[in-house]
Amino acid sequence: MSLTTPSTVRALPHAEWGRVRQSRRTADKLMRITAAGFTGLAIFVLFWILGMLIVKGLGGLSAATFTQITPGPGSEGGGLANAIVGSVVLTFLGIVVATPIGVLAGTYLAEYGKGSKLADLIRFINDILLSAPSILIGLFVYVIMVEPLGGYSGWAGGVALGIIAIPVIVRTTEDMLRLVPGPLREAGSALGAPPSVVITSITWRAAKSGMVTGILLALARIAGETAPLIFTALNNNFWFSPTLKGGVSNLPVTIYQFASAPYENWQQLAWAGSLIITMSILVLSLIARRIVRGSK
Amino acid sequence: MTAVTDHMTVPGAAPQRKTPKGTFDIVFRNASFLSALFVLVLLAGIMLSMVIGGWPAFREMGIGFITSSVWDTQNDQYGAWPAIVGTLSTAFLALVIGVPLSLGIAVYLTQLAPPWFKQPVSTAIELLAAVPSIIYGMWGLFVFVPLFAAYVQIPLSNIVEGLPIVGTVLYSRSPSGLGILTAGIILAFMIIPFIASITRDMLDQIPSVLRESAYGIGATTWEVVRHVLVPQAGVSIIGAIMLGLGRALGETMAVTFVVGNANRLSASIMDPGSTIASRIANEFNEAMGLQLNALIALGCILFFVTFVVLVIARILVSRVKAY
Amino acid sequence: MLSTLELSPQSLDADAPVRIAVKNLDFYYGEHKALKNINLDFRDRHVTALIGPSGCGKSTLLRIFNRIYSLYPEQKATGEVLLDGRNVISNDIDVNELRSRIGMVFQKPTPFPMSIYDNVAFGIRLYEKPPKSELDDRIEGALRRAALWDEVKDKLKASGMGLSGGQQQRLCIARTIAQKPEVILFDEPTSALDPISTGKIEDLLEQLKTDFTIVIVTHNMQQAARISQYTAFMYLGEVIEFAATNTIFMNPSKKQTQDYVTGRFG
Repeated sequence: MSLTTPSTVRALPHAEWGRVRQSRRTADKLMRITAAGFTGLAIFVLFWILGMLIVKGLGGLSAATFTQITPGPGSEGGGLANAIVGSVVLTFLGIVVATPIGVLAGTYLAEYGKGSKLADLIRFINDILLSAPSILIGLFVYVIMVEPLGGYSGWAGGVALGIIAIPVIVRTTEDMLRLVPGPLREAGSALGAPPSVVITSITWRAAKSGMVTGILLALARIAGETAPLIFTALNNNFWFSPTLKGGVSNLPVTIYQFASAPYENWQQLAWAGSLIITMSILVLSLIARRIVRGSK
Repeated sequence: MTAVTDHMTVPGAAPQRKTPKGTFDIVFRNASFLSALFVLVLLAGIMLSMVIGGWPAFREMGIGFITSSVWDTQNDQYGAWPAIVGTLSTAFLALVIGVPLSLGIAVYLTQLAPPWFKQPVSTAIELLAAVPSIIYGMWGLFVFVPLFAAYVQIPLSNIVEGLPIVGTVLYSRSPSGLGILTAGIILAFMIIPFIASITRDMLDQIPSVLRESAYGIGATTWEVVRHVLVPQAGVSIIGAIMLGLGRALGETMAVTFVVGNANRLSASIMDPGSTIASRIANEFNEAMGLQLNALIALGCILFFVTFVVLVIARILVSRVKAY
Repeated sequence: MLSTLELSPQSLDADAPVRIAVKNLDFYYGEHKALKNINLDFRDRHVTALIGPSGCGKSTLLRIFNRIYSLYPEQKATGEVLLDGRNVISNDIDVNELRSRIGMVFQKPTPFPMSIYDNVAFGIRLYEKPPKSELDDRIEGALRRAALWDEVKDKLKASGMGLSGGQQQRLCIARTIAQKPEVILFDEPTSALDPISTGKIEDLLEQLKTDFTIVIVTHNMQQAARISQYTAFMYLGEVIEFAATNTIFMNPSKKQTQDYVTGRFG
């Protein structure tokens, strides 16, 4: 190797220290302060929102909130009993619709669809649906269910929430199944078990807590959804019929309608409802997070 | 595998035992496949229902549905232009505010936070995504809007009044606190958790030897982040931003609370406006006939805009370079 | 095995000044004490190799000299590491400037996500603002010195990530020497490279020794024997023996050293 050795590349002699320009130090310090400040701001907003809910929501919270139904315009008192139960029913319906489809689809992507172009496409589209605006899901269900079947219903609301939940469950199921080590499956197959048995009795069992987390996350995602319910389950101030025909009262739409109404008891109930729904969702998310971390 | 069969009492017997398991195997496989296909059917169904449901409005108004600013339910004249502009401008403002905040948070979490602090802060940021949209709307309308009117809109209008350009863009004719900028600010906080957590994951994925060698040449944290880490994460950060944009474009409830729901177009970001989503949420339950089709047609436009944005986002995010 | 080693032919200058002096150095990963009472002298314009089985602390020691360990709050060093008499592990040292004086080349090639030219210019621009023509000269000089110039002179604007592994590593060396450091640390610089690239890098080290003080960590004993004048054998966080490379390989005074260099354990 013939090397020319330009004199420009030499170790510095015992040069003076202090060659770091002040502007570099300043820029670095500024960035550190800005990044920490931005983080602080976001956390501040979170606690501001939670603080607001506690301050305004606790005042409106009483036993009546859970025992009485939502009041009509101009009537006194009232509670959120029908809205709370309605929300639980709709959310439960959504999860019942979404869980089998989501789990099976996620299983297909993780177990059967390896290397297939179709599976890649489905995975990609699922990721798109994951962030699709929920209002469009509401419109979709309005067009395919509410209009043809002649009116708003809890079933339509449940289906809309289910469609929002499906991509969440598909994604987490696939991710969790992929974490299951291959040798575990091979051991099952080596014992002569067909793929379906290996999946249901070995792979699913190994990934159980992760899959439950996915369902919890889906639950947290749909419990507070408002926009899709406006076009499907609607809302009202009565106990809904057991057939779920007609509107089904629910917390998010109640909050939406009561929040800026001119009646003080409505506003109070809107705040109480906001507190209930947010705390439920945050607790759900924290539990899901705890499970994920525990299983790692 | 031989080790396993060695211990079996009847080697080779398993394949011959074809029992009901075989049927279950086929049923299970097909059920999984159909469920996966259902995901495609869903997207196709949403697209079709929007196109078909909105078709009467597109047919009736023609290109005017997009370019016209008239939204007149008495005379059945519908133009989406103000809602389209409102959607794009609120989402754009959300990015202008939300992206720097998100990047700052991601840098703080990956480079600056002490290890014991990282987990709780990460969780808090992610919880911002768990707060329902409608709660952001409540906070925006009842807490943020009055403060914004009193401490930003009114003083700022006094300052910029009469000035060229800023006197138009930042002047609020009725300083109510509601408006395009307010919606943009609320949206910014709603998209922060998405952009920040994806960017954080991307920065965390960069091999520590690259980070160390950037420090090893004598760069400060800022220089390492700006010249090495962010370019290295590159397109996936843009993908994360597009994902945030997708969220901002379709966000409904929070925007409906604070955007002011005005049908006309204003040159000032301080004035009320409306977005596609807020217009649909506001009018849908009272709409009939062509108005209903017009609202679904609005949904159709929103669908295609967010679809394109999300496709680009997913392509960019998935292209994480293996080092 | 001993007979197959080509020992470095260069004579060493026993009077060369000490560039880095390590005194009573201890190092901790959290509660775990990883280095115990290290005392070593690194001589100016000589190559010193740190050898020993994996986990012996040789890389840990190297990462103290330029304070890379400071990136991790749970890691702590006590004692003294004197660079020309200044203790670099004291809190009042500017770590950024320290790292511009003590360059480091890592196990894996780490080109920055920018052009070849900018990769080399990066370190220079941090500390100096030379006029364009001078900068060009220095970049050419550094690339020539790293034996990379002829391969990249026509594509200086191309991304550094497009080069082969061996070229990337030489780019990292060019980037390091362009800053004119006093000391260059090499942390197993050839462990990810093929034999031909490894040979080129070893030739380079030979050339660089005339201007820079070099400390190299290697798990490859032949490499240590070929390129270094001094060798320290480390085991379980301690320096077992430190002497001229010829002595370590031909006539070690400790049995553990003998066992290691003859391949009886490792």
